[in-house]
Amino acid sequence: MLQSAPFNYRRIIIWVGRIVIAAFFIYAGLAKLIRWDMHQLPPLTLANFPFPWRESIPTSLFAAQIDSYQMVPPWVSLAIAHWLPWAEILLGALLLIGWQLRIWATIVTLIVGGFFTAVVRAYALHLDINCGCFAKPEPLTGWTVLRDGALFLLAVLMTVFAFQQARKPHPWSGPANPAT
Amino acid sequence: MNRRFILASIATLALANAGTLIMVAAPTAQKSGAKNAPNAASSAKPASASQATITVNGVGDIDPAKAFGSKNAPVIMEIYSDFQCPACKQLFITTTQRVTDNYVDTNKVYMVHRDFPLPMHAYSRVAASYSRAAAHIGKCEVVEQALFQNQERWEANGDVKGIVAAVLTPAEMKKVQELVDAKTYEPLIDKDKQIGQAIPVNQTPTMIIHTKDGQSYPVVGFVSYDVLKTLLDQLTK
Repeated sequence: MLQSAPFNYRRIIIWVGRIVIAAFFIYAGLAKLIRWDMHQLPPLTLANFPFPWRESIPTSLFAAQIDSYQMVPPWVSLAIAHWLPWAEILLGALLLIGWQLRIWATIVTLIVGGFFTAVVRAYALHLDINCGCFAKPEPLTGWTVLRDGALFLLAVLMTVFAFQQARKPHPWSGPANPAT
Repeated sequence: MNRRFILASIATLALANAGTLIMVAAPTAQKSGAKNAPNAASSAKPASASQATITVNGVGDIDPAKAFGSKNAPVIMEIYSDFQCPACKQLFITTTQRVTDNYVDTNKVYMVHRDFPLPMHAYSRVAASYSRAAAHIGKCEVVEQALFQNQERWEANGDVKGIVAAVLTPAEMKKVQELVDAKTYEPLIDKDKQIGQAIPVNQTPTMIIHTKDGQSYPVVGFVSYDVLKTLLDQLTK
């Protein structure tokens, strides 16, 4: 008879991490592409769909938000603005699916770490800018730092535990040869 | 069974939280948009003829002395800035002047300078008063440039008057001083601030870019010219 998988805290954190971070990433990616704060009514149009390299007004506005952090040259701000929203949606979906979790969790953790570093730096330098996290005008405050810090911690735990869990045999899988 | 139930409960709660986040954030974003802001604070009329303001393409309470370019330009760019804010200085020196050369002087952008002196800066209101008075004798650009380029100097000793006097003739300075002493244009500075607070402008510099179709785009903080150019090129197509 099949048994349920052991329900330990690592598995809980992996699951919570996957769902919460995927929700954040998918929402953030869509918000940057759709910019629903600019529209009063549907239909909404995606920023540079289906060609991420094309210029669009939402993309340029997001590039301006990245540029206000004064961390990267303008051409890098523009490149990030073109590709990051799509990458966020894709990575969020991959986290939800769970396929090759360790790879995507590692990449997501690096990206969230980058966000956290940028936010902490801007806050420490007293840059009066918008976060740009969800595209809409949202001043960067201590709350933003806390939120990104919590997300980064969750991403790190999720990734570490995903690697640890992978070393163990899956609880649902039986021995390689039951007869032995 | 219990474990599966707990797992399903956690997943449901997480999804519910994500859904709530989306539902709550979207209307907030719409409210925070700057689209209707120029009209929201434009009801008050100027106190006298000397403080007459104009409306261009629905953007109200523009002081013509602090506005540059063609009123028929496809884009109106309002810049809310504080003379004592370092990011405003950076924007003015590296970005605004190039936008003036390439977009304002070619009639693509109508640029409106709005004063937004922050209470945390001791001398920014004084600087705004001198700048406004100078603008009304036709010396806006030269005084703004002097104030931003010498920001560290007058920020340290409060000698705004000395910086302004250095770039004006004695006769011009006398006129500016009279206007500052009489507080002739203080209501216009207050009006700019009131309009900004209604948007709301939370930090400086903040640019609100309006297009002829009534759409408004806020751009907050320092932005390099190359990035702003990509936006302006699309809006002025």
